[in-house]
Amino acid sequence: MDYQYQIDADRCKGCGLCVAVCPKKVLSLLQKNNSKGYFPAYRVDESACVLCGTCCIMCPDIAITITSIDN
Amino acid sequence: MAKILMKGNEAIGEAAIRAGCLNYFGYPITPQSEIAEYLSHRMPEVNGMFLQAESEVAASYMIFGAAAAGERVFTTSSSPGISLMSEAISYVAAAQCPAVFVNIMRGGPGLGGILPSQGDYFQATKGGGHGDYHLLVMAPNSVQESVEMVMRAFPLAEKYRNPVIILGDGLIGQMMEPVEFPDHLISEPSDKNDWATTGMDYRNSNKPNLVKSLFLVGNSLEENNRCLKAKYEQMKKEEIMFATYNCDTNYVALIVSYGTMSRVCRTAIDLLKNEGIEVGMIRPQTLFPFPEKAVQEAAWKPSCKVVTSMELSMGQMVEDVERVVQAKRPVTWFGVAGGIVSTPEEIVAEMKRVIHAHQ
Repeated sequence: MDYQYQIDADRCKGCGLCVAVCPKKVLSLLQKNNSKGYFPAYRVDESACVLCGTCCIMCPDIAITITSIDN
Repeated sequence: MAKILMKGNEAIGEAAIRAGCLNYFGYPITPQSEIAEYLSHRMPEVNGMFLQAESEVAASYMIFGAAAAGERVFTTSSSPGISLMSEAISYVAAAQCPAVFVNIMRGGPGLGGILPSQGDYFQATKGGGHGDYHLLVMAPNSVQESVEMVMRAFPLAEKYRNPVIILGDGLIGQMMEPVEFPDHLISEPSDKNDWATTGMDYRNSNKPNLVKSLFLVGNSLEENNRCLKAKYEQMKKEEIMFATYNCDTNYVALIVSYGTMSRVCRTAIDLLKNEGIEVGMIRPQTLFPFPEKAVQEAAWKPSCKVVTSMELSMGQMVEDVERVVQAKRPVTWFGVAGGIVSTPEEIVAEMKRVIHAHQ
Protein backbone atom coordinates (compact mmCIF):
# COMPACT_ATOMS: atom_id res chain seq x y z
CA MET A 1 0.00 0.00 0.00
CA ASP A 2 1.25 3.49 -0.86
CA TYR A 3 0.82 6.57 1.25
CA GLN A 4 0.42 10.19 0.30
CA TYR A 5 1.91 12.80 2.62
CA GLN A 6 0.45 16.30 2.32
CA ILE A 7 1.02 19.61 4.06
CA ASP A 8 -1.64 22.22 3.36
CA ALA A 9 0.80 25.13 3.29
CA ASP A 10 -1.88 27.82 3.36
CA ARG A 11 -3.35 26.35 6.54
CA CYS A 12 0.02 26.22 8.32
CA LYS A 13 0.89 29.06 10.71
CA GLY A 14 4.51 28.04 11.09
CA CYS A 15 4.33 27.26 14.82
CA GLY A 16 7.03 24.60 14.41
CA LEU A 17 5.42 22.03 16.71
CA CYS A 18 5.73 19.33 14.01
CA VAL A 19 9.38 20.21 13.51
CA ALA A 20 10.00 19.77 17.23
CA VAL A 21 8.06 16.52 17.57
CA CYS A 22 9.28 14.63 14.45
CA PRO A 23 11.30 11.60 15.66
CA LYS A 24 13.31 11.50 12.44
CA LYS A 25 13.95 15.26 12.19
CA VAL A 26 12.45 15.28 8.72
CA LEU A 27 10.60 18.59 8.93
CA SER A 28 11.73 22.19 8.80
CA LEU A 29 10.19 25.60 8.13
CA LEU A 30 10.29 26.96 4.60
CA GLN A 31 12.07 30.27 4.02
CA LYS A 32 9.27 31.42 1.70
CA ASN A 33 5.98 32.61 3.18
CA ASN A 34 2.50 31.28 2.39
CA SER A 35 -0.52 33.39 1.37
CA LYS A 36 -1.12 34.39 5.02
CA GLY A 37 2.46 35.47 5.56
CA TYR A 38 3.57 32.54 7.70
CA PHE A 39 6.53 30.29 6.96
CA PRO A 40 5.03 26.82 6.56
CA ALA A 41 6.53 23.43 7.42
CA TYR A 42 7.90 21.13 4.72
CA ARG A 43 9.74 17.81 4.54
CA VAL A 44 13.44 18.43 4.00
CA ASP A 45 14.23 14.77 3.54
CA GLU A 46 11.24 12.81 2.27
CA SER A 47 13.15 9.52 2.18
CA ALA A 48 13.85 9.70 5.92
CA CYS A 49 10.15 10.00 6.75
CA VAL A 50 8.67 6.82 8.26
CA LEU A 51 5.06 8.09 7.99
CA CYS A 52 4.53 7.60 11.73
CA GLY A 53 1.85 10.33 11.76
CA THR A 54 3.15 12.11 14.89
CA CYS A 55 3.20 15.42 13.01
CA CYS A 56 -0.46 14.91 11.94
CA ILE A 57 -1.50 14.31 15.56
CA MET A 58 0.54 17.28 16.81
CA CYS A 59 -0.52 19.85 14.22
CA PRO A 60 -2.99 22.23 15.94
CA ASP A 61 -4.40 23.33 12.58
CA ILE A 62 -4.80 19.84 11.10
CA ALA A 63 -2.68 20.96 8.15
CA ILE A 64 -0.77 17.68 7.76
CA THR A 65 -2.46 14.54 6.44
CA ILE A 66 -1.25 11.07 5.49
CA THR A 67 -3.66 9.08 3.36
CA SER A 68 -3.38 5.56 2.05
CA ILE A 69 -3.69 5.03 -1.68
CA ASP A 70 -5.03 1.64 -2.73
CA ASN A 71 -3.27 0.31 -5.76
CA MET B 1 -22.90 24.83 28.13
CA ALA B 2 -20.41 22.11 27.20
CA LYS B 3 -16.82 22.86 26.36
CA ILE B 4 -15.92 23.19 22.68
CA LEU B 5 -12.58 23.41 20.88
CA MET B 6 -12.13 26.82 19.28
CA LYS B 7 -9.43 29.01 17.85
CA GLY B 8 -8.74 32.07 20.02
CA ASN B 9 -9.78 34.54 17.33
CA GLU B 10 -13.07 32.77 16.61
CA ALA B 11 -13.82 32.43 20.32
CA ILE B 12 -13.35 36.19 20.73
CA GLY B 13 -15.88 36.82 17.95
CA GLU B 14 -18.38 34.40 19.44
CA ALA B 15 -17.88 35.84 22.95
CA ALA B 16 -18.82 39.31 21.72
CA ILE B 17 -22.05 37.98 20.22
CA ARG B 18 -22.86 36.07 23.43
CA ALA B 19 -22.22 39.31 25.33
CA GLY B 20 -24.97 40.96 23.29
CA CYS B 21 -22.80 42.93 20.87
CA LEU B 22 -24.38 42.83 17.43
CA ASN B 23 -22.26 45.47 15.69
CA TYR B 24 -18.81 44.86 14.25
CA PHE B 25 -16.86 47.19 12.01
CA GLY B 26 -13.35 46.15 11.15
CA TYR B 27 -10.55 45.67 8.72
CA PRO B 28 -8.55 42.47 8.29
CA ILE B 29 -4.98 42.18 9.51
CA THR B 30 -2.92 39.14 10.44
CA PRO B 31 -2.94 37.66 13.10
CA GLN B 32 -6.53 38.64 13.94
CA SER B 33 -8.27 38.23 10.56
CA GLU B 34 -10.14 35.11 11.73
CA ILE B 35 -12.26 37.30 14.03
CA ALA B 36 -13.59 39.23 11.04
CA GLU B 37 -13.83 36.06 8.98
CA TYR B 38 -15.88 34.34 11.70
CA LEU B 39 -18.15 37.32 12.27
CA SER B 40 -18.76 37.81 8.54
CA HIS B 41 -20.91 34.68 8.56
CA ARG B 42 -21.94 34.64 12.24
CA MET B 43 -23.32 38.20 12.50
CA PRO B 44 -25.98 37.74 9.76
CA GLU B 45 -27.17 34.59 11.59
CA VAL B 46 -28.06 36.67 14.66
CA ASN B 47 -29.34 39.66 12.64
CA GLY B 48 -26.24 41.62 13.61
CA MET B 49 -24.18 44.09 11.62
CA PHE B 50 -20.87 43.06 10.04
CA LEU B 51 -19.12 45.62 7.92
CA GLN B 52 -15.63 45.55 6.48
CA ALA B 53 -14.56 49.17 6.25
CA GLU B 54 -12.09 50.56 3.72
CA SER B 55 -9.46 51.06 6.43
CA GLU B 56 -8.91 50.88 10.18
CA VAL B 57 -9.43 54.65 10.38
CA ALA B 58 -12.90 54.33 8.85
CA ALA B 59 -13.77 51.33 11.01
CA SER B 60 -12.80 53.14 14.20
CA TYR B 61 -15.07 56.12 13.41
CA MET B 62 -17.92 53.73 12.64
CA ILE B 63 -17.33 52.43 16.17
CA PHE B 64 -17.53 56.02 17.47
CA GLY B 65 -20.81 56.57 15.61
CA ALA B 66 -22.45 53.36 16.78
CA ALA B 67 -21.27 53.90 20.36
CA ALA B 68 -22.64 57.46 20.35
CA ALA B 69 -25.97 56.05 19.22
CA GLY B 70 -25.99 53.80 22.27
CA GLU B 71 -25.29 50.49 20.53
CA ARG B 72 -22.99 47.79 21.84
CA VAL B 73 -20.14 47.79 19.35
CA PHE B 74 -16.65 46.42 18.99
CA THR B 75 -13.75 46.09 16.61
CA THR B 76 -10.58 44.08 16.46
CA SER B 77 -7.22 44.72 14.93
CA SER B 78 -3.53 44.10 15.35
CA SER B 79 -0.76 46.52 16.27
CA PRO B 80 -0.40 48.72 13.14
CA GLY B 81 -4.20 48.79 12.81
CA ILE B 82 -4.61 49.94 16.41
CA SER B 83 -2.14 52.75 15.66
CA LEU B 84 -4.46 53.91 12.88
CA MET B 85 -7.45 53.67 15.23
CA SER B 86 -5.74 55.57 18.03
CA GLU B 87 -7.08 58.96 16.92
CA ALA B 88 -10.66 57.72 17.12
CA ILE B 89 -9.98 55.95 20.42
CA SER B 90 -8.92 59.30 21.88
CA TYR B 91 -12.14 60.87 20.53
CA VAL B 92 -14.29 58.05 21.94
CA ALA B 93 -12.63 58.46 25.35
CA ALA B 94 -13.08 62.24 25.28
CA ALA B 95 -16.73 61.96 24.24
CA GLN B 96 -17.25 59.32 26.94
CA CYS B 97 -18.71 56.58 24.79
CA PRO B 98 -18.51 52.87 25.60
CA ALA B 99 -16.74 50.70 23.02
CA VAL B 100 -14.58 47.59 23.02
CA PHE B 101 -11.35 47.21 21.06
CA VAL B 102 -9.33 44.01 20.74
CA ASN B 103 -5.63 44.16 19.89
CA ILE B 104 -4.12 40.82 18.87
CA MET B 105 -0.57 42.12 19.07
CA ARG B 106 2.11 41.38 16.51
CA GLY B 107 5.74 42.40 16.40
CA GLY B 108 6.63 46.01 15.75
CA PRO B 109 7.51 48.84 15.32
CA GLY B 110 6.35 49.68 11.82
CA LEU B 111 4.72 46.91 9.86
CA GLY B 112 6.97 44.65 11.89
CA GLY B 113 6.01 41.01 11.59
CA ILE B 114 2.96 38.85 12.06
CA LEU B 115 4.14 36.72 14.97
CA PRO B 116 3.25 37.17 18.68
CA SER B 117 4.64 40.13 20.61
CA GLN B 118 3.78 42.30 23.60
CA GLY B 119 5.19 45.48 22.13
CA ASP B 120 1.99 47.50 22.50
CA TYR B 121 2.00 47.71 26.30
CA PHE B 122 2.90 51.41 26.21
CA GLN B 123 0.37 52.11 23.48
CA ALA B 124 -2.46 50.46 25.38
CA THR B 125 -1.70 51.60 28.92
CA LYS B 126 -0.06 55.00 28.43
CA GLY B 127 -1.91 56.45 25.50
CA GLY B 128 -1.60 55.67 21.83
CA GLY B 129 -3.80 58.60 20.95
CA HIS B 130 -3.39 62.17 22.13
CA GLY B 131 -4.61 63.83 25.29
CA ASP B 132 -5.32 62.98 28.90
CA TYR B 133 -7.06 59.65 28.67
CA HIS B 134 -6.71 56.02 29.63
CA LEU B 135 -8.24 52.80 28.41
CA LEU B 136 -9.25 49.98 30.67
CA VAL B 137 -6.74 47.33 29.51
CA MET B 138 -7.24 43.60 30.05
CA ALA B 139 -4.67 40.97 29.06
CA PRO B 140 -5.79 37.32 28.74
CA ASN B 141 -3.36 34.38 28.79
CA SER B 142 -5.69 31.69 27.43
CA VAL B 143 -8.55 31.32 25.00
CA GLN B 144 -10.93 30.81 27.92
CA GLU B 145 -9.77 34.01 29.60
CA SER B 146 -10.08 35.91 26.29
CA VAL B 147 -13.74 34.88 26.14
CA GLU B 148 -14.40 35.91 29.73
CA MET B 149 -12.63 39.24 29.31
CA VAL B 150 -14.52 40.06 26.11
CA MET B 151 -17.82 39.27 27.81
CA ARG B 152 -16.85 41.43 30.81
CA ALA B 153 -15.57 44.25 28.61
CA PHE B 154 -19.00 45.40 27.37
CA PRO B 155 -20.63 46.04 30.78
CA LEU B 156 -17.37 47.61 31.97
CA ALA B 157 -17.23 49.95 28.96
CA GLU B 158 -20.82 50.98 29.72
CA LYS B 159 -20.22 51.36 33.45
CA TYR B 160 -17.43 53.85 32.81
CA ARG B 161 -18.55 55.08 29.40
CA ASN B 162 -14.95 54.56 28.37
CA PRO B 163 -13.25 52.40 25.73
CA VAL B 164 -11.98 49.01 26.95
CA ILE B 165 -9.15 47.24 25.14
CA ILE B 166 -8.32 43.53 25.25
CA LEU B 167 -4.60 43.04 24.74
CA GLY B 168 -4.02 39.56 23.33
CA ASP B 169 -1.25 38.48 21.03
CA GLY B 170 -0.75 36.36 17.94
CA LEU B 171 -0.35 33.22 20.02
CA ILE B 172 -3.63 33.66 21.91
CA GLY B 173 -5.43 34.47 18.66
CA GLN B 174 -4.06 31.59 16.61
CA MET B 175 -4.15 28.84 19.23
CA MET B 176 -6.97 26.36 19.73
CA GLU B 177 -8.11 25.47 23.24
CA PRO B 178 -11.23 24.05 24.90
CA VAL B 179 -13.52 26.91 25.76
CA GLU B 180 -16.82 27.55 27.50
CA PHE B 181 -19.06 30.60 27.22
CA PRO B 182 -20.24 31.28 30.78
CA ASP B 183 -23.90 32.29 30.98
CA HIS B 184 -23.33 34.33 34.13
CA LEU B 185 -21.25 36.82 32.15
CA ILE B 186 -24.15 37.72 29.87
CA SER B 187 -25.17 41.27 30.79
CA GLU B 188 -28.11 43.49 29.94
CA PRO B 189 -27.20 46.69 28.07
CA SER B 190 -27.18 49.68 30.43
CA ASP B 191 -29.66 52.56 30.33
CA LYS B 192 -28.30 55.09 27.84
CA ASN B 193 -31.18 57.60 27.84
CA ASP B 194 -29.15 60.27 29.64
CA TRP B 195 -26.42 60.62 27.07
CA ALA B 196 -26.81 58.55 23.88
CA THR B 197 -28.09 60.13 20.67
CA THR B 198 -31.01 57.76 20.29
CA GLY B 199 -33.54 60.43 19.20
CA MET B 200 -35.75 62.64 21.41
CA ASP B 201 -39.01 61.19 20.07
CA TYR B 202 -37.80 57.69 20.72
CA ARG B 203 -37.02 58.32 24.36
CA ASN B 204 -39.83 60.84 25.09
CA SER B 205 -37.46 63.57 26.15
CA ASN B 206 -37.28 67.30 25.62
CA LYS B 207 -33.55 67.44 26.33
CA PRO B 208 -31.25 66.82 23.36
CA ASN B 209 -28.25 64.56 24.04
CA LEU B 210 -24.98 65.81 22.58
CA VAL B 211 -21.94 63.60 22.06
CA LYS B 212 -18.81 65.65 21.40
CA SER B 213 -15.10 65.86 22.04
CA LEU B 214 -14.60 69.59 21.35
CA PHE B 215 -14.69 71.82 24.45
CA LEU B 216 -13.90 75.47 23.66
CA VAL B 217 -15.93 77.47 26.14
CA GLY B 218 -14.42 78.56 29.46
CA ASN B 219 -13.09 75.70 31.54
CA SER B 220 -15.36 73.06 30.01
CA LEU B 221 -12.36 71.05 28.77
CA GLU B 222 -10.82 70.99 32.23
CA GLU B 223 -14.16 69.86 33.66
CA ASN B 224 -14.24 67.02 31.13
CA ASN B 225 -10.65 66.06 31.97
CA ARG B 226 -11.46 66.03 35.68
CA CYS B 227 -14.50 63.87 34.98
CA LEU B 228 -12.27 61.40 33.08
CA LYS B 229 -9.70 61.48 35.86
CA ALA B 230 -12.39 60.59 38.43
CA LYS B 231 -13.36 57.57 36.32
CA TYR B 232 -9.75 56.35 36.16
CA GLU B 233 -9.43 56.68 39.93
CA GLN B 234 -12.63 54.66 40.35
CA MET B 235 -11.23 51.98 38.00
CA LYS B 236 -8.13 51.76 40.21
CA LYS B 237 -10.38 51.07 43.20
CA GLU B 238 -12.85 48.65 41.61
CA GLU B 239 -11.52 46.93 38.51
CA ILE B 240 -8.04 45.59 39.30
CA MET B 241 -7.63 41.91 38.43
CA PHE B 242 -4.54 39.77 38.85
CA ALA B 243 -3.53 36.16 39.40
CA THR B 244 -0.67 34.66 41.37
CA TYR B 245 1.33 31.47 40.94
CA ASN B 246 3.47 29.78 43.60
CA CYS B 247 3.16 32.91 45.75
CA ASP B 248 2.25 31.01 48.96
CA THR B 249 5.87 29.80 49.23
CA ASN B 250 8.92 31.65 50.55
CA TYR B 251 10.04 32.52 47.04
CA VAL B 252 13.46 34.06 46.53
CA ALA B 253 12.48 35.87 43.34
CA LEU B 254 9.28 37.25 41.90
CA ILE B 255 8.32 37.22 38.23
CA VAL B 256 5.85 39.79 36.93
CA SER B 257 4.44 38.66 33.61
CA TYR B 258 1.22 38.80 31.61
CA GLY B 259 -0.43 37.13 28.62
CA THR B 260 1.43 34.51 26.62
CA MET B 261 4.72 35.08 28.45
CA SER B 262 3.08 34.17 31.78
CA ARG B 263 2.28 30.69 30.42
CA VAL B 264 5.96 30.10 29.63
CA CYS B 265 6.92 31.47 33.06
CA ARG B 266 4.48 29.07 34.76
CA THR B 267 6.30 26.10 33.22
CA ALA B 268 9.67 27.62 34.13
CA ILE B 269 8.55 28.05 37.76
CA ASP B 270 7.57 24.35 37.90
CA LEU B 271 11.00 23.37 36.50
CA LEU B 272 12.76 25.58 39.07
CA LYS B 273 10.63 24.08 41.86
CA ASN B 274 11.88 20.60 40.88
CA GLU B 275 15.42 21.89 41.44
CA GLY B 276 14.46 23.29 44.84
CA ILE B 277 14.34 26.94 43.79
CA GLU B 278 11.12 28.74 44.69
CA VAL B 279 10.04 31.55 42.39
CA GLY B 280 6.66 33.28 42.62
CA MET B 281 4.73 34.94 39.84
CA ILE B 282 2.17 37.71 39.81
CA ARG B 283 0.22 38.09 36.59
CA PRO B 284 -1.64 41.36 36.02
CA GLN B 285 -4.93 40.62 34.25
CA THR B 286 -5.70 44.32 34.07
CA LEU B 287 -2.72 46.32 32.82
CA PHE B 288 -4.56 49.58 33.40
CA PRO B 289 -5.41 49.85 36.21
CA PHE B 290 -2.11 48.15 37.11
CA PRO B 291 -2.30 45.95 40.25
CA GLU B 292 0.07 48.27 42.09
CA LYS B 293 -0.61 47.19 45.66
CA ALA B 294 -0.52 43.47 44.86
CA VAL B 295 2.78 43.69 42.99
CA GLN B 296 4.25 45.86 45.74
CA GLU B 297 3.23 43.49 48.52
CA ALA B 298 4.50 40.45 46.62
CA ALA B 299 7.80 42.18 45.83
CA TRP B 300 8.32 43.41 49.40
CA LYS B 301 7.89 39.93 50.91
CA PRO B 302 10.96 39.39 53.16
CA SER B 303 12.13 36.22 51.35
CA CYS B 304 12.03 37.92 47.95
CA LYS B 305 15.42 39.26 46.87
CA VAL B 306 14.77 40.34 43.30
CA VAL B 307 11.86 41.14 40.97
CA THR B 308 11.99 40.33 37.24
CA SER B 309 9.62 41.61 34.58
CA MET B 310 9.27 38.97 31.85
CA GLU B 311 7.92 40.30 28.57
CA LEU B 312 7.72 39.67 24.84
CA SER B 313 9.07 43.18 24.35
CA MET B 314 12.26 45.12 24.88
CA GLY B 315 11.15 46.32 28.33
CA GLN B 316 7.83 48.14 28.71
CA MET B 317 5.92 46.79 31.71
CA VAL B 318 9.20 46.84 33.64
CA GLU B 319 8.74 50.62 34.00
CA ASP B 320 5.47 50.09 35.90
CA VAL B 321 7.07 47.36 37.99
CA GLU B 322 9.97 49.67 38.89
CA ARG B 323 7.47 52.40 39.76
CA VAL B 324 5.53 50.31 42.26
CA VAL B 325 8.52 48.45 43.78
CA GLN B 326 9.94 51.90 44.61
CA ALA B 327 13.57 50.71 44.58
CA LYS B 328 13.03 48.59 47.72
CA ARG B 329 14.06 45.51 45.69
CA PRO B 330 16.25 45.31 42.60
CA VAL B 331 14.09 45.13 39.46
CA THR B 332 15.41 43.38 36.34
CA TRP B 333 13.95 42.81 32.90
CA PHE B 334 14.10 39.83 30.58
CA GLY B 335 12.44 39.78 27.20
CA VAL B 336 12.46 38.58 23.66
CA ALA B 337 10.84 40.36 20.72
CA GLY B 338 10.30 40.25 17.03
CA GLY B 339 7.91 37.32 17.07
CA ILE B 340 10.11 35.03 19.12
CA VAL B 341 8.48 33.37 22.15
CA SER B 342 11.06 32.34 24.72
CA THR B 343 11.31 28.77 25.98
CA PRO B 344 10.90 27.74 29.65
CA GLU B 345 14.59 26.71 29.66
CA GLU B 346 15.66 30.26 28.75
CA ILE B 347 13.60 31.63 31.63
CA VAL B 348 14.99 29.03 34.04
CA ALA B 349 18.55 30.04 33.04
CA GLU B 350 17.75 33.75 33.39
CA MET B 351 16.13 33.30 36.81
CA LYS B 352 19.12 31.29 38.08
CA ARG B 353 21.44 34.03 36.83
CA VAL B 354 19.37 36.79 38.43
CA ILE B 355 18.97 34.95 41.75
CA HIS B 356 22.71 34.22 41.87
CA ALA B 357 23.54 37.87 41.16
CA HIS B 358 21.28 39.17 43.95
CA GLN B 359 21.96 36.69 46.76
